[in-house]
Amino acid sequence: MVYISIIIGCIIGAIIGLNSPIIPYTYSSYLAIAIIAALDTVFGGIASVIKGNFDLKIFLTGFFGNAILSILLTYLGNRLNVDIYLAAIIVFVGRMFTNLAIIRRYYVEKWSKKLDSLAESKKNKAEAKNK
Amino acid sequence: MNKKQVSIALGTICLLLSMGICIQLKTVDNSIASVARTQAENELRDSVLKWKENYDNAETKLEYKEAELEKIRNQVASSDESSTQISEQLAQNNSLLGYTDLTGSGVVITAADGDYSAAKGLAAQYIVHDGDLVALVNALKNAGAEAISINGQRIVNTTAITCVGNTVMINGERVGSPFIINAIGNPERLYGQITMPESYYDKMKTDGVDVKIEKVNSIDVPKYTGLYNFEYAQAVE
Repeated sequence: MVYISIIIGCIIGAIIGLNSPIIPYTYSSYLAIAIIAALDTVFGGIASVIKGNFDLKIFLTGFFGNAILSILLTYLGNRLNVDIYLAAIIVFVGRMFTNLAIIRRYYVEKWSKKLDSLAESKKNKAEAKNK
Repeated sequence: MNKKQVSIALGTICLLLSMGICIQLKTVDNSIASVARTQAENELRDSVLKWKENYDNAETKLEYKEAELEKIRNQVASSDESSTQISEQLAQNNSLLGYTDLTGSGVVITAADGDYSAAKGLAAQYIVHDGDLVALVNALKNAGAEAISINGQRIVNTTAITCVGNTVMINGERVGSPFIINAIGNPERLYGQITMPESYYDKMKTDGVDVKIEKVNSIDVPKYTGLYNFEYAQAVE
């Protein structure tokens, strides 16, 4: 259910994005940082769904708050001639990897349990036959 | 937690995300992003693009207005006998000034930079320079060419062919190799004079420039899009 909605959202978004006008080049760095923030939020959301503590309010405020803060930081960095956006990218990407690790662990454990139970049931069947 | 709510929220965010990614990809593809570093450079790039757009808009507007003007002229001419003569004269003057698209028989000269890797000697020898174009245009005029254009730039009285870095500027527009020179005139005569032994064309060929000439039955020479501006010159009474 969750993954289907993610895929549908991606497809519709891509169609809209491909048909929308391009933005001025000056603002593309801001859009880039907003994209990273959104990616972070999506991975965070999936991880929290898996952990079972998903909260819509926290999810939405996190999305908009992160995006806006990182855009403001990028702007400030541009004015001060310091690449502050690098800090934002490091934080977001670092978190992305952490969340990805949580998602990976969950599915690996789930599948390995499934495989174990399959193997066990086979064994049981074989033993039953032998008897 | 409601599963429906979760999937709607995640789906919406993914929609925004992939939309942003697509727009960003298009933007980056559209601009030559590899060299842009600073805000100031980006803004300069923006303003260049904006001016270019303004220029294009102005040109289309001008074309539209010219068509309108032509219509009005035709109307006036048809209603009045004496103005028919005037409009005929006007049309003739316009074609002399280069303000009309022309077509006719002539020659096409293609001059491109030679292959330097295969060549020996000076690299500058294998490149088409502004002077080469001037010499070719001169030779064409000498052979009786009635209208000449280089890469779509009409050669008129005020046309200057100058060197700007690694390209050539004609009528204030940058043009680059390969140069395609369209000339309207007697094809046999143009061809004969241009390809004469010891001619400039011949010299370019022996220098290693990739140059070709072709006789054609029908060729288009576009009109001059600039303006003649007399600020200092006045007619003597």
